[in-house]
Amino acid sequence: MAASFSSQRRLLTTLCSQLNGALWLNSGVRSIHSTAVCNKNRAARIRVGKGDRPMTYEEALPPHQIAHRKGWLSHHTSNLNGEHGTADRTVEDAFIRRFIYGTFHRCLANELVIKRRGNMLIISALMFQKMPPRKYYFFIGYTEELLSHFYKCPVKMEIQTVEEKVVYKYL
Amino acid sequence: MIWRSVDLRRTALRTLLQLQLNMAASTFCPVLLPLSRINCKLNGIYTLISLNKTAAYSTGLSVKKTGAKTGLPQRGGKELRRQIKQVLQPRTERMAVDQDWTAVYPTAASFKADAVPLPVRMGYPVKKGVPPSKKGNLELLKIPNFLHLTPNAIKKQCEALKPFCTEWPAALDSDEKCEKHFPIQVQKKDYVFAGPSLRHPDARIVTLTVKLSSLNLDDHARKKMIKLSGERYNKDTDTLTITADSCPLKQQNHDYAMYMLTVLYHESWKIEAWEKEKTRADMEEYVWEDSPSQKNILETLLRIRPLSEQQEEGEVREELLGREEVQEYKDSVTKLKNEGETEGNMQQYKEAVKKLLSI
Repeated sequence: MAASFSSQRRLLTTLCSQLNGALWLNSGVRSIHSTAVCNKNRAARIRVGKGDRPMTYEEALPPHQIAHRKGWLSHHTSNLNGEHGTADRTVEDAFIRRFIYGTFHRCLANELVIKRRGNMLIISALMFQKMPPRKYYFFIGYTEELLSHFYKCPVKMEIQTVEEKVVYKYL
Repeated sequence: MIWRSVDLRRTALRTLLQLQLNMAASTFCPVLLPLSRINCKLNGIYTLISLNKTAAYSTGLSVKKTGAKTGLPQRGGKELRRQIKQVLQPRTERMAVDQDWTAVYPTAASFKADAVPLPVRMGYPVKKGVPPSKKGNLELLKIPNFLHLTPNAIKKQCEALKPFCTEWPAALDSDEKCEKHFPIQVQKKDYVFAGPSLRHPDARIVTLTVKLSSLNLDDHARKKMIKLSGERYNKDTDTLTITADSCPLKQQNHDYAMYMLTVLYHESWKIEAWEKEKTRADMEEYVWEDSPSQKNILETLLRIRPLSEQQEEGEVREELLGREEVQEYKDSVTKLKNEGETEGNMQQYKEAVKKLLSI
């Protein structure tokens, strides 16, 4: 990045000097200038807007705040030094997130929290009170049964409900 | 359709009574509005739906059915309303100070804001604000909590485990006794990790440690054993460590380690024919006899005292070797070579030389 910035600056200075020299000599000349592209990082960041968008804590803080102001959404031992199965657990996590997002359509109030205790897979979720509890129980049972058959390990869901989105900030 | 407030209340009560209220409190901890606020939302069907939903989110207390379906008796109404109000509150409102906490968190579970009566706050505060409260706080959900491991809970678990434990044998009350009776120590590791499999590849490794002083070895056997073990022997602690990881199973590696130890022991007692060819360079420690130091000192002493004709050289050597100063010199040189140069050793050497040369 530093190299591209310095090259950009050099290019600018040469451009300016050229322009200064050439401005009143041949003002009709247009040429293509190309520099290295340096895009801003946009990953998981909500850009500041009018101030009318309610944001949860999780959405409002960008990913470089993980381990500073945010915790991790997924806890398992495979990310430790010398442990096996890192990629398997990560892929499982990704699948579980999509699965729950689809099963509990528009009910999720926040991101899923996935924990692994030994063999067991524990999914903690915050949900809105969109459906009657009987439906929730059905979906919980369905999820646990299906996922435990997929992953050959006990799967437990721990759901808590909130009435509305827990707002941290307005962006 | 506009619902009058009385009708709303009646519908709420009826729906509650009809619901099954035997839900597990530990899996469902909602945040609820009090009944009075619902009556303000006069929005037709929306009101009815929200009422049913919020009315349905109860926390597990069973409400007794009072009277007929058509109407509720006025005298029971107040009692019923109080009961329902209790049911819709979070569990923390109804917790006694001296309650049994192990019943609230019997096992490891995530943080439930409505089951933990502490005013916990977590998160980075907004400018001129405070950290977010516990209601709907994902940060509190993310972290592992130890609410299920209060001292009471651990006491209860220990009490439950005690029938399965046996006493430590009273005769083994010191480390030395343990080492004397159990000189061989075998270390095996078991792994607990996230994942559906039970097998961990490093669980097959077995380490066997034994002190050579506890084995029955004479001088030659000990030296041979140390030479045979090579890197596996630690001179400072006098321990031999055998690590076996070549077999796929722990039991196999254990057997292999024991076999290795047996083989080492028996081999070190044997004396092979080629061991006679051990040279001075193979010696583990410095031996003064037949060393250049001995030759030099004898020559020096012989030169100091010129040989008289009657005495033979061999006898003189024997006599010289037997002298006390020569013995002292021998001790100091052996110490220097074996242990290295220290203040004490150098002093000793100096004294010995001074005495020898009678300075």
